[in-house]
Amino acid sequence: MGKVARQVVEQAGVNVDVLLDKLIRAASAEFTTFYYYTILRVNSIGFDGEGLKEIIEDARIEDRNHFEALTPRIYELGGALPRDIRGFADVAGCPDAYLPSDPRDMKQMLNVLVEAERCAIRTYNEICGMTFGKDHRTYEIALAILHEEIEHEAWFSEFMGEGPSGHFRRGAPGASPHVRKFMTADIG
Amino acid sequence: MAFVKLARVEEIPPGQTKYVCPEGRPVILANYDGGIYALTGICPHRNNPLEGAILWDHLIDCPFHHFQYDVRTGENHFPRNVYPPDLPRLQTQLRPLKVFPVKIEDGWIWADLS
Repeated sequence: MGKVARQVVEQAGVNVDVLLDKLIRAASAEFTTFYYYTILRVNSIGFDGEGLKEIIEDARIEDRNHFEALTPRIYELGGALPRDIRGFADVAGCPDAYLPSDPRDMKQMLNVLVEAERCAIRTYNEICGMTFGKDHRTYEIALAILHEEIEHEAWFSEFMGEGPSGHFRRGAPGASPHVRKFMTADIG
Repeated sequence: MAFVKLARVEEIPPGQTKYVCPEGRPVILANYDGGIYALTGICPHRNNPLEGAILWDHLIDCPFHHFQYDVRTGENHFPRNVYPPDLPRLQTQLRPLKVFPVKIEDGWIWADLS
């Protein structure tokens, strides 16, 4: 924990304990989504599924990256991840993205995916609103994640035919163009 | 009928919610499409208070896990729309919010909490 790193946020008027609760819930949602998206990607097969598989993979890897980017900030602010992963999964800020009853039904699959992304957008929009102009570092991390979650929603939404966004898939799987700069241990 | 005075109408602008706790009973008020709605103020998913809940169209969004409820009926919308029916244990998370009858008198919101 950085003493001044937390102090400046408190003095700017942010309730750091409330913020930490939201960051831990967000990190948990990213971690559990990484798990569930693995199952969704594995089951994305057939004529429709093969086209969906690659964007599930991009979103899956980027959600893991979001977890990686959030975790140091939680500790910097004096928080910690739960010691028990079961407790961690239980505090996830979004519902679990379960494999649908009929995994061959890509509309059901897409519905799970797009709703998960919409929940993530709401989560980071809230954190951005809470930290804007006060906690610059958390705000920048949350904003970078928000950029990617909005792109994820657009990918899945377009697959459902809900309208174009102008986005295209990543050049490399899970490239995280917005969040990458916060994954400092991974940058060579 | 036991109507309880909860808040002034102007305290809940369109598209907003307000959490109140008269006589120790949590209630969430919502102003949607010109109507005032009063519902149980505790999310039945994990029994967290709905204080600070955001209204997205007709859906109240729980700030803890983003479970969403229709303000008009109290029924869960999300994640009901994605939870697989072949996992019955999940259905217990989807209990509705109770909707209370509302009346407005002289700018005051009253709800029958009985």
